[in-house]
Amino acid sequence: MSSISSDIIRGYNDTMILYLLWDAPSYGYEISKRIRSLSDEKYLIKETTLYSAFTRLEKNGFVESFSENATISGKRRTYYRITDKGRQYYREKCAEWTLTKEVVEKFIKEDGGI
Amino acid sequence: METIRNYLETMFARLPITFEVQKAKNELGQMMEDKYTELIKDGKTENEAVGIVISEFGNLDELAEELGISSFVIQGNQKAAAGIRSVALSEVKDYLHDRTRAAYTVALGVLLCIISCCGYLLDVSWNWRGAVYATCFMFLMIAAAIGLFMFSGFVMGKWKFLKQKGCSVDFATAEYVHNRRESFRVTFAMMITIGVILCILSVLPVVIVTSLFSWRSGLGVVLMFVFIGIGVFLLVAAGNMNAGFSTILSLNKSDTMGGSFVPSQKQVRYNNNVISQIMSVYWPTVTCIYLCWSFLSFDWHITWIVWVIAAVVQQLIRAIW
Repeated sequence: MSSISSDIIRGYNDTMILYLLWDAPSYGYEISKRIRSLSDEKYLIKETTLYSAFTRLEKNGFVESFSENATISGKRRTYYRITDKGRQYYREKCAEWTLTKEVVEKFIKEDGGI
Repeated sequence: METIRNYLETMFARLPITFEVQKAKNELGQMMEDKYTELIKDGKTENEAVGIVISEFGNLDELAEELGISSFVIQGNQKAAAGIRSVALSEVKDYLHDRTRAAYTVALGVLLCIISCCGYLLDVSWNWRGAVYATCFMFLMIAAAIGLFMFSGFVMGKWKFLKQKGCSVDFATAEYVHNRRESFRVTFAMMITIGVILCILSVLPVVIVTSLFSWRSGLGVVLMFVFIGIGVFLLVAAGNMNAGFSTILSLNKSDTMGGSFVPSQKQVRYNNNVISQIMSVYWPTVTCIYLCWSFLSFDWHITWIVWVIAAVVQQLIRAIW
């Protein structure tokens, strides 16, 4: 069982977060939970990695943060909302990934080199 | 939950209080709390939940840039480029373990040296005419002491690189050592205090024995050496262990995060090159003079003055150069 390379995936943390924010704003733990379940438990994002991605995205104007009381528990949380600039950036990242995948794929043997 | 909060507090304890740092701490705390609550809801025990949350927390170094503490991390990268060695937490733990053992070994050696002359004193005061045994005792003690010194020298030999090569520790390690030193503080204070008190009180047995049983005055001197021996044992052991923490904490330059742990730490540097060469062999030379003078003259009752004079001279040299 091979594990995920954190160097490679790091460049796409932003993409995952933007994808998850696409329809509705969300907060830290929910995003990490959804990354985990969407990846079939194959990728566990660390809290510090996630927070560092949030601050980077916010600094670049791809997301906005706001504080809101959670509906169920009533706890105050920081929510993140995607901006138009963020959507634009997401599209660029998608194109970039398609290209990257296309190129790398050419060098991956079908049988995995067994 | 308390454990998680403490963990977070500890991780952030040494960072500057800025808006970014505060925000990061709140946000990370929120995420950890959410995760913890959910794990508990899923039927995990408290210990399991705490373990999972902490193991999935990540590394503060990753946030360096966002928190405006990147100078620390960037410097770390430059250090790696310049062949500077980063010392891992497990190595630091080993080092502190070895250092503690060496501290007691050396202290015990010093204790044995100090009481090595007691055989003679007992012999003289009881008129046993056992000078042979007394001599044997003395040399046994000294041999054992030298054995202990050599042993600790060998053990600590593998850590020499900490002093020679430029080394650095990361944030979590510095935090760990800092906490260890904090928890050692009271013990350290006790050891030093009791050590000094014993040294001061060491004259009491001499006075008491001499005035009450004047025909056994040697016994008083023996007790004096035992008092001094134990006192010095405590001083040497405590000093050495504390020096171990300082060695690690002062590895980083003072302008880095880790280095800021020991702001008051000042390394003695002699401006004059010749003097610094001489000072590097100062204490071994003093020891040599002490032993030579003592063994040649057997004036043990007065030769200890060498240490006092040596300490004064060292302070003078430090003040002048």
